Amino acid sequence: MQNINHFVHAYRIAPWRIQRQWIGNTLLVVVGFAMVAALYLYVTARAAIAGREIQDLTASTRISQQASADLQTRFAALTSTSVMEERALALGFEPIKPGRMEYIVVAGYMPPQPVILSNGPQSGLRAPSIPPEYNQSLLDWMDEQVHSPYVRGGLQQ
Amino acid sequence: MRQQYAWRSKFLMSVLGLLAFLVVVQIVRIQNSEEAAIFRQRALNYATESKTFYPDRGNIYDRNGHLLAGNKTVYEVGVNLNDVKDANAIAMTLSVQLGVDYAETLNNIINPPIPDLVYLVITKSASVEDAVALQQLQLTMQEQAPAGTSGSLTGLEFTAHPQRDYPEGALASNIIGFVNRAGRGYFGVEEKYNDLLAGNPVQVLVPTDPNKAEDIPHIPDGTNLVLTINRDLQAAAEETLDGALFTYGAQGGTIIVMNPRNGEVLAMAVTPRMDLNRFWDYEVVYQNASEFNRAISVPYEPGSVTKILTMAAALDSGTVSPTTTFLDTGSILIGGVTIKNWNEEAWGLQDMTGCLQHSLNVCMAWISTQMGTQTFYGYMNRFGLGHLTNIDMAGESAGRLKVPGDEDWYPVDLGTNAFGQGVASTPIQLLAAASSIANDGRMISPHILYSMLREDRQYNASAQYAGAPISSETARTLSNMLATSLENEASLALVSGYRMAGKTGTAQIPMPYGYYDSTRTNASFIGWGPVDDPQFMIYVWLESPSSSIWGSETAAPVFSEMAQKTVILLNVPPDSVRQQLVLK
Repeated sequence: MQNINHFVHAYRIAPWRIQRQWIGNTLLVVVGFAMVAALYLYVTARAAIAGREIQDLTASTRISQQASADLQTRFAALTSTSVMEERALALGFEPIKPGRMEYIVVAGYMPPQPVILSNGPQSGLRAPSIPPEYNQSLLDWMDEQVHSPYVRGGLQQ
Repeated sequence: MRQQYAWRSKFLMSVLGLLAFLVVVQIVRIQNSEEAAIFRQRALNYATESKTFYPDRGNIYDRNGHLLAGNKTVYEVGVNLNDVKDANAIAMTLSVQLGVDYAETLNNIINPPIPDLVYLVITKSASVEDAVALQQLQLTMQEQAPAGTSGSLTGLEFTAHPQRDYPEGALASNIIGFVNRAGRGYFGVEEKYNDLLAGNPVQVLVPTDPNKAEDIPHIPDGTNLVLTINRDLQAAAEETLDGALFTYGAQGGTIIVMNPRNGEVLAMAVTPRMDLNRFWDYEVVYQNASEFNRAISVPYEPGSVTKILTMAAALDSGTVSPTTTFLDTGSILIGGVTIKNWNEEAWGLQDMTGCLQHSLNVCMAWISTQMGTQTFYGYMNRFGLGHLTNIDMAGESAGRLKVPGDEDWYPVDLGTNAFGQGVASTPIQLLAAASSIANDGRMISPHILYSMLREDRQYNASAQYAGAPISSETARTLSNMLATSLENEASLALVSGYRMAGKTGTAQIPMPYGYYDSTRTNASFIGWGPVDDPQFMIYVWLESPSSSIWGSETAAPVFSEMAQKTVILLNVPPDSVRQQLVLK
């Protein structure tokens, strides 16, 4: 029993034990910082990638809109009055004279009305705003959590 | 021994500590210096980039959805003079692909027109096909170049940008107007609705840090416009007008087709016209701005077409009735001036229909004197003479109606104004005024905009009325008188199968110092049909026709031709068929 007490006492006053404790605590702090830094780096990288993807999507949307406008004007040119008239004449059609027209009664016929180009309101198709997870750094998030009114005691009660 | 060296360690530690402290002090000092504030501000300036997002200019369609004005991608092709390796190859390639002058291009690359020029613009509007071909060629030359060297087309640069495009070319050019390279609309609808079409540019501060990617604000495109014109009818009107100018040797002309019920302009053809895709030719085609759309911008003395307004006023005020007779002696003295008929002959006893049918100046002058100045000019004012119709196109002219009290008004004007002399009106003004006769007494405001499309919503323009200068009974009575006068005269304006109302006009052209040119005239015709249910009005104006000076021999047949095309394109069946359909 005395030997055990002596061993415990010797262990407690051993200088290398104090050193190991210091080393252990220091490593703990370093690892903690490393983990936070890694997490921060990960979130930042994801936000950067998301940001670039958004910019790419915006650019491709713009390109698609331009391509659509190009195709629309090209189609209009291909179906312009002069072109259609030439095609009709080439196919053997000729302008009709009033006396050669025959009118017949068609039940339910409605004369053509001016064009309606609107699809109506489509508010649901608009892209939602980017959620804060994609553009908020860890520090921003922590700052928001600290300063958020929901964390304050007054509002929690 | 340990004690001996301890002080050295302490000294070294103190020195290092002092150095560290000084470093920290210096860091803090630098951080808070004035220079640091400048650098921080510079960093902030580079942290965001100011970008202006321009919405796409709105499209313009005809009433059936055919595109009249849209946008297409074109390329600015330029040469970065600092990167040029082979000026000869670049000049040759551009000459072949874009058709630019080889020698001039080569000279500009070797000897830039401006000292220290680094970027030479070759063209601002190369087509996509040309740009892609040049880029492909540039790539091929780069691949064929020896390793580590640049290709012979190095220095060519391409920048895509949108440009206004008019698929129909010159069709309805006077109505549409054009957009210059700066994006501003000129003339017609492009100018009148420039703000709506162009939309609102939005300036945004975009962070350069990709971590701070932000939502680009929603930028609505420019408003799309749907016009009231019918593309096919417009083409028919232009074809008819061009044919008329050739056939009758006229120097210029106008044809307008309008719906008298709601004021929708269905076609408005004028000469000259220009290919809107070559808007830079404007100064070559036109001498002055008013020529761009004579139908609304050029007032002229219309002559006898004004008689229908005089007769409408006289009937409505009760001054005359259709059966009122007038003994035409061939002349009448008003304000000390003798007024004669167009052929300087006496036509004897005439009723009011006869006065219209034979287009008797003396009769009309007599009617206006019977009405008196107050009544006559009151009606002319309500018909809108001398006032803008406010048609929604840029450049409208109000014309001129002299009234008692004006310095240049003389008593004889009461007589001459009654048959369209001494009064200046635009074709659209006369059409608007006459719409009250075709539309049961209600005068409409002519307009060109059918609807606007913005944010997926379509807003239709409603018809605007400009008062009711005459009663519906007067309007119907006068329409029948005009139709009868055309039938009695066996006018060239008649259209087989359709009863039309209308009136010719032949007006001498005023010269400086108050004289009239005895050799040149303005020939006009205004008409509408079918008389019992008017669905279109047509105005024809031929300037200085050389084959005949008379409107009855030039403008009247043009009206007939245009009316025949109109009834086909608007699906208006002949009167007999239509009346059978009504009976069923």
